Amino acid sequence: MANLKDIKRRIHSVESTMQITKAMELVASSKLRKAKERAESVQPFFEATYKLMAEIVAEDIYFNSQFVRKRTEKGAVLLIVIAGDRGLAGGFNANIFRIAQTRIDEIKQTGGNPIVMPIGQKAVDYFENRNIKILKAYHHIAEHMNIYLAMDMAELILNTYQRHESLQSVELVFTNYVSPILQVAQKMEVIPLEELTVKNPRRCAVEYEPSPEAVFDKLVPRYVASLLYGAIVESFASEQASRRTAMENATDNATEMIDNLSLLYNRARQGAITQEITEIVGGASAQQ
Amino acid sequence: MNTFRLVILTPDKKLFDDQVIQLTARTTEGDVGILAGHIRYVAILKTGALTVKLENGNMKKAAIAGGVLKVSDDKTSVLVTAGEWAEEIDPDWAERSRQDAMAKIEAFQNEPDRLERANLKLQRALNRLQVSGRSTGQIIPPVKKKK
Repeated sequence: MANLKDIKRRIHSVESTMQITKAMELVASSKLRKAKERAESVQPFFEATYKLMAEIVAEDIYFNSQFVRKRTEKGAVLLIVIAGDRGLAGGFNANIFRIAQTRIDEIKQTGGNPIVMPIGQKAVDYFENRNIKILKAYHHIAEHMNIYLAMDMAELILNTYQRHESLQSVELVFTNYVSPILQVAQKMEVIPLEELTVKNPRRCAVEYEPSPEAVFDKLVPRYVASLLYGAIVESFASEQASRRTAMENATDNATEMIDNLSLLYNRARQGAITQEITEIVGGASAQQ
Repeated sequence: MNTFRLVILTPDKKLFDDQVIQLTARTTEGDVGILAGHIRYVAILKTGALTVKLENGNMKKAAIAGGVLKVSDDKTSVLVTAGEWAEEIDPDWAERSRQDAMAKIEAFQNEPDRLERANLKLQRALNRLQVSGRSTGQIIPPVKKKK
């Protein structure tokens, strides 16, 4: 029979853990709500930018921008990997790293050279430990993300792409927030903008000032910036949702453990009482 | 007066969506005025002021930090990196931001990248100040880079 005091101590320990998980769950819920609002607010801007770029491409058959052209040579691939700053979020970080690692192995196998731009402390740690070339690391930015920072990042990415002809493509690994219970880690191509299409491209005379190419090249940094901003905010929302689910499960498990331990404790207490009574009765009858 | 639908979008919010009579903006090629029935047109906007004449005839002014103007048949959209209405600008904050930018320009004389960024910040701050009506002077030209 387990010691009464030991069981009591374990119940206390589980209770205090439960308090922490419960608090984390609540914090994640409130952060999730804010992040979701931000993720939704970037959508119209992103869509309008994308549509305008697609229209320019659809309109002009001679259109030729360096950001649309595919680079045939096998070379370096820049992977932007967005993970969290903290752990304890279920499989959130692990899912991202699995996709990123698969892609990195793939690039290496085909003779390419993977370069990463980690966003989030966990991503930075992951790639530093594995000695993968880092272009620039960002951490602790997701919660207070702003568009200027996204513009700076976009500028860095596009400058790197322009300067290095050997950079084959830029890809993004992030977590898509589908619903509070479903978040999907996924990979998407950022540059070159190959599949730039509108559903019904209307060919119509539009006057571009100064020129379609100039407008397009001006749009690209905004497109990349809003894409990054959206992906970072969405990943942050996913992280919070994932953490909330994980902490909810942890709290449930703790409740279950406490229930089981309480049962064990009561049984042990009852056993002890029964034993004491038996001893008293036994002692009394021996004296008669 | 004929009106047309104007939508002003920034990455974090929809700044404006309503019928207007006229829109005046500063493009890289010069100032343009858009009225209802304008031909399809796309232009790059510079950091500057954007003036809107509302349906009731009132004027509304915004400070914008660069963007793209697009006139299509059904509506006119303005995609800007950042934008605020004149009455929403906090002149004190803009002034602090201007001073901060000036300090950065001093500090980054030998770093072209950061100097460039500080210059842009200064331009934005001056634009905000001007639109909010705090300063009446011209936009001061950005400080020249040291070779």
